[in-house]
Amino acid sequence: MSGGLRLWLSRLGAMTLKELKQLSRDPILLVVIVYFFTADIYIAGAGVHMDLNNAPIAVMDHDRSAASRELIYRFRPPYFRLVREPQSIREAVRLLDEGKVLAVLDIPAHFQRDLLAGRQTVVQMQVDASNAMLGTLVSTYAGRIVARYGFERAKMHLGMGKAQLQAIPVVENRHRVYYNPNQSDPWFMAISEMLTVITMLSLMLPAAAAVREKERGTIEQLAVSPLSPAQILLPKVLAMGLAVLVGAAASLFLVIQAVFHVPIKGSSMLFFIMTALYVFATSGLGLFIATLSRNLGQVVMLVILIMMPLLLLSGAWTPPEAMPAFLRQAMHVSPLFYFTEMSYAILLKGAGLGVLWRLMLELALLGSLVFAFGVWRFRRQFG
Amino acid sequence: MKWRRTWAVAWKEWREVMRDRLFFAMAFVVPSMILLVLGYGLSLDVENIPFAAIDYDKSALSRDYLHRFIDSRYFDYRGEARNVQQLDRLLAASRIRFAIIVPPRFQERLAASRPVAVQSLIDGVFPYRTQVSKGYVAAINADFSAHLLTDAIAQRQGIPRARARQFVTPIRLDARYLYNQAIRSRWSMSSGLIMLVLMVSPPFLTALGVVRERENGSIYNIYASTVSRGEFIVGKLLPYVVISAMNIFILWGFAVWLFGAPFKGDPLFFFTASLVYVICTAGIGLLVSLIVRTQAAAALLTMVITFIPAMLYSGLLVPVESMGRETQIEAHLFPTLYYLRIVWGSFLKGLGWPMLWGNVAALVAYAAVLWSVGFLSFHKRPRQ
Repeated sequence: MSGGLRLWLSRLGAMTLKELKQLSRDPILLVVIVYFFTADIYIAGAGVHMDLNNAPIAVMDHDRSAASRELIYRFRPPYFRLVREPQSIREAVRLLDEGKVLAVLDIPAHFQRDLLAGRQTVVQMQVDASNAMLGTLVSTYAGRIVARYGFERAKMHLGMGKAQLQAIPVVENRHRVYYNPNQSDPWFMAISEMLTVITMLSLMLPAAAAVREKERGTIEQLAVSPLSPAQILLPKVLAMGLAVLVGAAASLFLVIQAVFHVPIKGSSMLFFIMTALYVFATSGLGLFIATLSRNLGQVVMLVILIMMPLLLLSGAWTPPEAMPAFLRQAMHVSPLFYFTEMSYAILLKGAGLGVLWRLMLELALLGSLVFAFGVWRFRRQFG
Repeated sequence: MKWRRTWAVAWKEWREVMRDRLFFAMAFVVPSMILLVLGYGLSLDVENIPFAAIDYDKSALSRDYLHRFIDSRYFDYRGEARNVQQLDRLLAASRIRFAIIVPPRFQERLAASRPVAVQSLIDGVFPYRTQVSKGYVAAINADFSAHLLTDAIAQRQGIPRARARQFVTPIRLDARYLYNQAIRSRWSMSSGLIMLVLMVSPPFLTALGVVRERENGSIYNIYASTVSRGEFIVGKLLPYVVISAMNIFILWGFAVWLFGAPFKGDPLFFFTASLVYVICTAGIGLLVSLIVRTQAAAALLTMVITFIPAMLYSGLLVPVESMGRETQIEAHLFPTLYYLRIVWGSFLKGLGWPMLWGNVAALVAYAAVLWSVGFLSFHKRPRQ
């Protein structure tokens, strides 16, 4: 029996080696994989800052007083940048149409006079909301700047000195931000991108390896060999899973930790065990794709078709609480949901098995189901 | 270049695509799918943030204060916690994203006209949401303070509350949103994503189409035939351009009818510009197909060079003006930037040829360069 096992293992080893060799002989594919795990994650982490950053604005100052200049002066970097002072409404609208500025601030005449007299004045702002997120940010920050300026003027107007400032009933903010104290965007974006890349490649590579055999007809050679379907399939999953794990290690240590200084709070060993589990689950889906398609064009389309809902339901873009109720339930079918939760928990929150065992068990269960389904389909086709 | 031969290549390619039922269906399903999933999924509206509170004061005023959070549609109250350790556990398990702690003697201090600091704990995993949550908290606190201050001033100086209110907030900002009055992120996203989808899908189709011939070896039939390289390239790409042109209509329909985005511009202008854009992105696929040898590599390389520019350098998430100088130059090297201006200009701003012709010209130039490079580097006699 042990002889049989040894033979089984040696065949498995030989086939895995064959897959790895085949992978290493497509240099452009290798370069692209390396690119995905390093440069792509770097670009995603460094490129997107979902905050207001030097937003170009124009100002129409109808007052030209010390008070209005003082207010305009506060619209400055890092949030805003004053680029133009249009002379007419027409010119202002044209600037907005062309996208040269994101907002036009309109200060009314008698701004200073009203302030000094203690009358409320209204400053108008036209915001380009064609990008809704930016429009919201612009008006939020502008509102904050104007409110703060107004509050200071009010205190001046009421003649409050330092001593009296202690004696006003206000609620002050004391924020404490957990897990990412400086709210560094790269931490979130880079990890999120790494999870996406792992998902994409562990779906695509095993499926591509299996379908290539079909497309070139070499599957017939394998079918007449003494190999069982499992011995044909498992090596593909093993070889590609290995490549993905090595890539994940590279991006975790070389990019996420070394470049973006994410403090890996939890155990990186635990992270890799979990990643292996996840890769195994998604490659089951990949094999399923392979059974459906006859050529690589179909594989690619199906990968995108399956990956998009996985990403949507992962919680990486939209957290569960912001989802409609039925989608929140559907998230539990997406392996990426468990993977995302656990990755952030391990890498940023420092969670261990004590907290994560349940999620891990659920992922293992879901993964086995998916993988078993993929193998079952494949066996039916080639058994 | 003979049109008859070009036509023959195009017809052969069209039949091949049509016979691959799955591929043909996917050529239409996948672009719509990307638009639907991202259109619904990339919702950046921050609402229903789950939160818990600790009220150490338990006074009328502290309850009144907490109700400003509980009643807000931005927050979703998940109950009161006993102590900070419990809050930490809830935050660690992602059961809540935010917690607020009202200190003891909250009412007493405020009644005595003294400031009070209220501690809030915020989950920082997703920085954008953290930033927005912080903004909400600050706004509620400011509003509550203004309310208290108005009362205090009215009392202290013996003036009516309305007058005191004017003292407290001497300037009001009146923001008006142009092009998208209700700032619906669905409007921006669904239309903006047309740019992304048409950047990604035509290159996929063309690159896979050309590389498949090479990987299967059927390209030798072309090498041996009388078809010239120009005829081959044009004929080969034509069906994919046609499919993508049909997708323009489908995507436009989804954005307008499903997501309710308004289309204020000139339809003829929009479809002409979109066709130029599709020809341009199909050219990207042509270049990819000349570099790679296998379809797997073609798919991944296309993903790399189309998805990232469309997401990051187009202005969809970050406006070009807010980028650093180098990034701005990079952004101008991709066609996505010009086309996004055309899309948002046509959909939301109601612009046409007079304002946007420069962007169309940039796309035409881009397409001309891509197709010329593709033409010049395609050889019927592969060099050994």
